[in-house]
Parts: sequence; C-alpha cells; structure tokens
Amino acid sequence: MSEATPTGAIHDIGYRHYDGPRLGASYIRRSLFLETLRGAFGLGRSGRSKIMPFLLLSLMVLPAVVVGIVTGYFGFDELPMGYTEYVVNMQVAVTVFLGAQAPAVMSRDLRFRVAPLYFSRPLSRQQYVQAKYGGMAAALLILTGLPLTLLLAGALLAELPLGDQLPDYLRSMGGAVLYALVLAGVGLVVAAMTPRRGVGVAAVVGVLLVLSGLQGAVRAMAGEFGNDTFSGYTGLLSPYTLVDGVVAGVLGADSSVGDGPPGALGVVVFAVVVILLVVGSYAALVARYRKALS
Amino acid sequence: MSTLELEEVSRWFGNVVAVNDVTMRLGPGVTGLLGPNGAGKSTLINMMAGFLAPSAGTVTLDGRPLYRDPEIYREVGLVPEREEMYDALTGWSFVLANARLHKLADPEEAARRAIATVEMADAQDRDIRTYSKGMRQRIKMATAIVHDPTVLLLDEPFNGMDPRQRLHLMELLHELGDQGRTILFSSHILEEVEQIAGRIEVMVAGRHAASGDFREIRRLMTQRPHQYTIRSTDDRSLASLLIADASTSGVELVTDSTGGSTVQVQATDFSAFIHAVPRVASRGGIRLLEVRPADESLESVFSYLVSR
Amino acid sequence: MSLIRTDGLTKRFGPVTAVEELTVEVAAGVTGLVGANGAGKSTLLKILLGLLPATEGSASVLDLDVAREGPAIRERVGYMPEHDCLPPDVSATEFVVHMARMSGLPATSARERAADILRHVGLYEERYRPMGGYSTGMRQRVKLAQALVHDPGLALLDEPTNGLDPAGRDDMLELIRRIGTEFGISVVVTSHLLGELERVCDGIVVIDGGRLLQHTTTASVTAETALLRIEVDGDPAVLTTRLTETGIVVRRDGALLHVDVADDTTYDVVRDVVADLGLGLVRMERERHRMTEIFTDEAKGAHV
Repeated sequence: MSEATPTGAIHDIGYRHYDGPRLGASYIRRSLFLETLRGAFGLGRSGRSKIMPFLLLSLMVLPAVVVGIVTGYFGFDELPMGYTEYVVNMQVAVTVFLGAQAPAVMSRDLRFRVAPLYFSRPLSRQQYVQAKYGGMAAALLILTGLPLTLLLAGALLAELPLGDQLPDYLRSMGGAVLYALVLAGVGLVVAAMTPRRGVGVAAVVGVLLVLSGLQGAVRAMAGEFGNDTFSGYTGLLSPYTLVDGVVAGVLGADSSVGDGPPGALGVVVFAVVVILLVVGSYAALVARYRKALS
Repeated sequence: MSTLELEEVSRWFGNVVAVNDVTMRLGPGVTGLLGPNGAGKSTLINMMAGFLAPSAGTVTLDGRPLYRDPEIYREVGLVPEREEMYDALTGWSFVLANARLHKLADPEEAARRAIATVEMADAQDRDIRTYSKGMRQRIKMATAIVHDPTVLLLDEPFNGMDPRQRLHLMELLHELGDQGRTILFSSHILEEVEQIAGRIEVMVAGRHAASGDFREIRRLMTQRPHQYTIRSTDDRSLASLLIADASTSGVELVTDSTGGSTVQVQATDFSAFIHAVPRVASRGGIRLLEVRPADESLESVFSYLVSR
Repeated sequence: MSLIRTDGLTKRFGPVTAVEELTVEVAAGVTGLVGANGAGKSTLLKILLGLLPATEGSASVLDLDVAREGPAIRERVGYMPEHDCLPPDVSATEFVVHMARMSGLPATSARERAADILRHVGLYEERYRPMGGYSTGMRQRVKLAQALVHDPGLALLDEPTNGLDPAGRDDMLELIRRIGTEFGISVVVTSHLLGELERVCDGIVVIDGGRLLQHTTTASVTAETALLRIEVDGDPAVLTTRLTETGIVVRRDGALLHVDVADDTTYDVVRDVVADLGLGLVRMERERHRMTEIFTDEAKGAHV
C-alpha cells in the first residue's frame, strides 16, 4: 500500500521585485560601448546587417594578405606597400564602412526618438556620447588595425627582420588610433545631422569623398603654382591626409602625400586641427542630444 | 438645410473596403460616430464633407449630392484629424484666409466671431507653430465654423485637449447642436460621447453596426441578458429570492476590494425583472441601497457591438 | 518615505514660467496628474528626473534630491513617454533586455526580468517579432515594460492610453491598477481623461498654468452626495406625487427623479411605493461627485 504524499503545488509566478546589483553609470557606459562596437559589425543583429561590414573588413585585409604572400614568394627584402600609407590608400573602403555604419550607430536613436528612454536612465548625455563615439572609433580601429597587423605578420613570415618592421608598424598603429578618432567624429556628426533613412549613408560618404577629391584637386593646383608651403597645407582639407600629416610630422613617418605638413609650424597646425576636430565632434554630438528628452 | 443622408454607401481603395454598404441619416443635434481603429470613420467623414466620392451609393445633404458641389461647401464645416497646418501663419490670418475663401460678406467680423467662440482671441496673433495641440484644435474649429455652417463634422476633435478645453468644446458643441445644426463627431473616448451625443452611430470594420440612443440600443440587445448590480442589507437572501423569480438566469455574490458586497444578477426578461426587484425586496423586508444596470454604459454596448 | 515632494518649485524660461511655486507631496499608490498646460507637464517631469535644474525651490523623488542625486533617481524611476519611441527592426525582447542593461542590471538579470515583465504586461509570442509590425496596443505595452523592467520604486506614465481604442484603454487601465496594487510599484499617471483617472487613481494632482490647483484623494472628489437618483419604467409623475405625499423631497428631471436622502428609511419608502404602484425599478443609486466638477466649478468661476 502506498502512502498518499502531496505531489501537487501551485508556484507563485507573480511579479517579483529586484534586489540584485544595480551597476551604475560606468558599467552602463561600458555596456553601451560594447553593444555599439558589436553593432558596427552587425553582430547581435539580423544576418543581413553583417554583410556590409564583413565584406568591407575582408576588402581591407585582402591587400595586406596579398602583399605578405607576394613578399614571401618573391623574397623581397622590404614590403612593397608601407604601413603608414596603407589607410590612405584604402580610404575608399574605410569611407564606405563609416558611411554604412555611422547612421546605424547614431541616427536610429534620433529618428525613432529612443533617446528619451536612455536619458531617463542613469546614463548622462556625455556618457551616452562617449559610449557611442568610443564604439564607432573602436570599430574603425579594428578595421584599420587588423590589416596592419596582418601586414606585419606577413612580413615576419617572409623572414623580414622585426627590427626593421617595428618602427613603421608602431607609427601606423598610432595613426590608426588617430584615424579612428577623427573619422568616427566626422562620420557621427554628419550622421546625427541627417537622421532620415538613407540620407545619412549618402551624406557621410559624400562628405568624405568630396573632401578627398577637393584636397587632391587643390594640391594639384598648388603644385602648378610651385608653392610648396601652400601645397603642404592642403593636407588639412581631408581627414585622411590630415591624420597622415600628423603621423608624418609628429611620429616621424614618411608622408604618403607629397612632403607632408610644411615645417614645424605646419606640424603644430595639423596636430591642433586633429585635436579640435575630435573635441569639436564630441561637443557637437553632446549638443545634438540636448533637447532629446521631450 | 440639415439632413445628411447616406444611402447604401460603399467606398473602397483597391481591395480594401473602408466603408461597406452604409445607410445612415443624420439630423439636427449632436451625433457621435464610434468605432475601433480602422473601422472607416475618417473615410465616412470625408465623404460627408464632400471631399471623397462614394464608390457606390449616394451621400446627400437635404437631397443634393455632396461631392464637389461648391454650394454645399458653404453649408458644411470640417475639422479633420490631421495636424498639418500652415505653421508660419498666425491664428488670425489663417482663420481670416478661410473666411475670405468662403467669400463671406464680412470676413473680418466672421473671423473675429469664430475665434472668440473658441476662445483663442489672446493667442490669435501668434504663429501657429507656437501653439499647443489643444490650441491647434481650437483654431481648426474656428476655421470650420467661420462660415456659420449648418453641418459640422469633427474627426477626433478632443485629441490632445486638457479637461478644461474638453469641457469647453463639449459645451460649444451642445450649444451649436441646440441651435439646430447637424453635428457629427468621431471619438474613441466613450465617456465624452456619452455626455454630449444624443445619438450614436457605430461603425465596425466598415459596416454600420448600430444607431440611436445607446440605452435604447442596449434594450434592443435582447439576446444578451441584462446585468444588474444590487446592494442591499441582506444580499444572500435577496439573491435567493431573485433566482426564484423566472426573470433571472443567474445571481452571484461579489465582494469587491474594499470589502463591500453586491449581488450581480443576470436578467433574461428585463421588464419582468425590474418589476420583481422592488416587489421581492419589499415582501422580504430587505432594504435596497443600490440598484443599477451594470452593462448599460456606452462602453459595454460598444464592446458587444464590436465583437459581433 | 514620500514619493514625490516639491517645495516652492519654480522653473522659468526667460519670460515664460512653466512651473510656478509648486508645493505638493505625493504619497505612495497610484496618483493622477492633470495639467492644463503641456509645457508645464513635460518641464515638471524633466525636473523630477533630475534632468533640468529648477530656477527656484526644491524637489525630491523617493527621498532623493533632484538637484544632487539625479542619476540615483533615474536608477529607481521608470518613465513611459507619450510619443512613439520604439525602433522597428528590433524585437520587444531584445529591446527590453537592452533597456534593462541601460538601467544598470547585469546581463543575466536583465534577460530574466525582461522575460518576466513582458509576460506581466501581456506580450507572448509576439515579443520575438520586430516591433515594426506591432499594433498600438502592443507598442504601449512594450513602452510600459521598459519602464518597469528594472523594478523601479516609481513609474511615471505619460498618457499611457493615448491612441488606444476602448478595449485597449480598459486593458491598460487594468494593468496600471495591477502595477499599483499587486506589483507594489507606485505610479504617477498623466492624462486628460478624468474618467480614467477616477477608475485607477487613489489621488489626483491638478496643475494649471504651472500652479497647483488641487491635490485630493479620488475618494473625496467622488464621494456620495445626499441625492438619490431614481428611474422607473412607467410614468414618473405618479411616483413623484406619491413620494411627495410621504414627505420626501423630490425633484423631477425628465425621466429621472432626484430624491433627498434624509435618513436610511428613505430607501425603504421608495422601494415600497414603487412596488405598491406596480412600477419597474430601472435604477436607484446615490449620486456621486465626479472629478470633472473640479473644472466645471473653476470654469463657472472664470466665466463670471
């Protein structure tokens, strides 16, 4: 005979309060930063949104791999393409990446008015912008840093001496950081001004291509007049040549564009402009979100 | 000039039938147009204003078809739901422009009167872009009444208005209705419709589901037993006496959150039931404290009509 | 602990005063906030969330000072905006989890609470679909869910029934009542619809032009009057006469009779007379005051 033991129970699945940790604004900012970085590569979103970023990443990496193979195969004693000119040469791919992803990072919160939901939470405006800016910059850093590192790896595999490769590699990585900060700033500001669907992509790409083209044209004209100083300053017109100029002037690399910033004054001007661009972009983004809660 | 008639009216947009075989008659006074989202209310109103032609059937005002008849436009005023307006104009110039478009004899006077009626005289010289939602609604109202129409159509007019503005608009519509104008307004807010509309027209998925005074409609819903709520000094005894009567089909003792108790009764024979209640309570010596129909509200009628 | 306390709170934008000398103390429970002026309401909400500094005066939310402890307040308050704020290509689950993390919840807790709260607001399989395809009712529920997912002590709901049809409105009001009672979260609801607030709120704060007009409990503005409203099936004239004969004061209003309730025996007299005359009793109920009277009294005063 079996004993009748109570086997039924109804469990309470009503509302539960939360007594766990609330991790504060720094944690939140870091979370948002990581989500932004992942989002820039389409991770954590639909399959379709991964196509563009990964395609562009592959495009960025391809020349580095090819150069590595070719160097090894033909036994060159130096890389046919240098580290510090890599990004300038590949700028179209970087521009397209920025154009595709900056709106995804910045415009959506504005277009769909999600911003009030963020600002009614512990994160401040500044911290929000820091996370977004940081995420975009980190994405660009990966986009540019990965091929440079692969280039180094290729060179080492081709048995080129590390001591020869390292200085320029480090200079180019420094450049990668600056490219990331400047380009993210410009891209995000343009995207924040153009929240309408599709307009942001065109605007970001358009602005960067136009500036690049303008820089090239003005420099060519300056060349016609034989004015080297003016020619050197034309580098200020495009973010790519601007950063390249700083890497050349401050870090001592070879300029990828003519002679680089003219003289010590030129170097200072270039560096100051870079700083202003980064700080100015940050400030502009913070201002853009000022009336977001309403 | 104030009878609006729709005779077997349908309106479709491709495969979407927004209004399906509607026959309706609107006379002087205030009528409420109700229906869930997408029921075809706005389409109906646009046809009544003469801006949209019916795909089938006729829409007439005192016998004359409305569509594209400029004479008719003098008699009809429309307050649409859409909010887009000429932001750069001041309230005054907007209403005045409308008055002029109507070729009124004295447009300034008409505009002044209309703006005074909606109590926007203080703000009339400010740009419309500075107006709040409620103020925009009032200016829209002013343009709709500036030509003193006999028919006034309002699509969700109370949207965005605060309680005071609502009360004011309700009074205004009441007044205009008492003056003999034919007024139709659509709304989701049943409590307001209850307060000012003498009659209601209910649309469900493009079909005309019911019309008339909502209490009358309730009485006509005979397939549905009436629900009554009764409070007394001895609910249980009363409940047992009521269920013994043939007019009821169910009784339930309900305790609410504050600890008060009531008897909920389902009455299949309304007339017999309401006679039974005082009789039974009197004989049983039970004091009745409250006797009220629980499902007579417009809300209840409406949810029944929508679910048919 | 007081929920919200303000003391002489004033906010000026140049010549415009959005909030003026507001002194009020809101207790726990469900409170309605009715304001004649839209600008005043959103300014007040921003100040309470610590996002806008006051020009004068002070305020505290959940005993935290809005001037100095803004982030702490925003950690413990949920906000449901009036306008659309949901991105269309993300699912409700993803979105609410993200918002939970943006409130400081660690990843695992965020997921669990998001799942639970979506169930409580009534979103089931649809929570996995992108929100672009949601109806208004579903969107309002998601907005509510993100306001509650981090277990706030106070939920600020700005016109939560906006755009909903009557059935949806009912559901939302029922949900708000549950939040205030079952969930134990205090709620401040803004609305223009006094009927709704009557149903759901324990108390109501009325603001007009940035100033406090009234702060009462729902119970006191919807108290019973001394009048009994009676409707019968049949000729009310006979009933009127007979009732008057018994000494009861009767006023006739079309089909309705209004009777002064002298004492409890009035009910019995009415009952017996109706039964005696063989009339049907359609309704007999004590008149209650309505919240709208706050404004009609005001309006009548203003028209003078």
